[in-house]
Amino acid sequence: MPILNGVDPLDGLRRAGKRVTDPLESLAQSVAQHVVELVVHAVDLNALLQQVDLDALLARVDVNEFLARVDVSALLDRVDVNEVLRRVDVDALVAETDLGAVIAQSSGGLATEALDAARSSAVGLDGFVDRWVGRVVRRRHPLPVAPPALLDAADHGGTQA
Amino acid sequence: MSGQAPGAGLETMQGHYAGSVSRFAAYVIDVAVSSGLFAAGLALVSYAAQVVTGHVIGWSRQDVLVAVLLAAWQLLYYGYSWASGGKTFGMAVLGVQVVRADGMIIDPWRGVLRALVFPLSFLLLGLGFAGILVQREHRALHDLIAGTAVVYSWDARSARLRFLSRSRPSAAGDAR
Repeated sequence: MPILNGVDPLDGLRRAGKRVTDPLESLAQSVAQHVVELVVHAVDLNALLQQVDLDALLARVDVNEFLARVDVSALLDRVDVNEVLRRVDVDALVAETDLGAVIAQSSGGLATEALDAARSSAVGLDGFVDRWVGRVVRRRHPLPVAPPALLDAADHGGTQA
Repeated sequence: MSGQAPGAGLETMQGHYAGSVSRFAAYVIDVAVSSGLFAAGLALVSYAAQVVTGHVIGWSRQDVLVAVLLAAWQLLYYGYSWASGGKTFGMAVLGVQVVRADGMIIDPWRGVLRALVFPLSFLLLGLGFAGILVQREHRALHDLIAGTAVVYSWDARSARLRFLSRSRPSAAGDAR
């Protein structure tokens, strides 16, 4: 049949069918949306959720699998860790948890304590002498507290020089 | 909890210019340590020479050789300490450290230069050290020449945590 080469006789039927099914499909979608909205409004979700056995539900969830899919780096990038840590009451944390015992065990004994005390005293005396020298030489402007590269770190709790 | 914890109120001192008392105390320790090591070294050499030759070797402070050896030893002690880590033994004890004037880690050559020009601060009745008291950045003459500064390097926050953790068992004991 050379005259029908390249022409599908069923094309016309398909086009006619598509003209009918497309509007029907959109109509069905809109009806379904309305039905869902009506059902959601009609149902008391709180009552429904109370009937859900969350323990059983969670038992079926593979938390490890879920966590494996989480990009922790991306998550941490969105968290301001410094801001979080600034809100932590470290004194209370150390006083009320075993963290204090861990620190005490990991950080020497009498020698460390003596070193801390000696350094603290020296820093206190540094400030005392500096204040008196400031009075004697009549300093009027505050002195820089740290070198430029360490200034920002010093303002935020310090870092290794 | 009575009294003030070591490091309380000092959390931000790390990286600040170190004061005169901390620096002087560190220097006193260094003088004691370096002199002790030098004396021990001389005693060891004397003992070895006595064992080998059978003659007793006596050292005198007026001896030119001893003076030269002492100067070389001091240069090695301070130069190596500052060039390698920015701190001598005494500075490590007091928690202070030599850094570049801009606060960056000291270059080794600056450490050696600082040790070389350190004696200059003793001239003119130690006037070179007056900068530690009156200069804006607490820098002595040898600091200004070598382009260095001395800052606190110890972690006062850790000291405070240690203090709090130590006081915890006693506080619990008091409660009982």
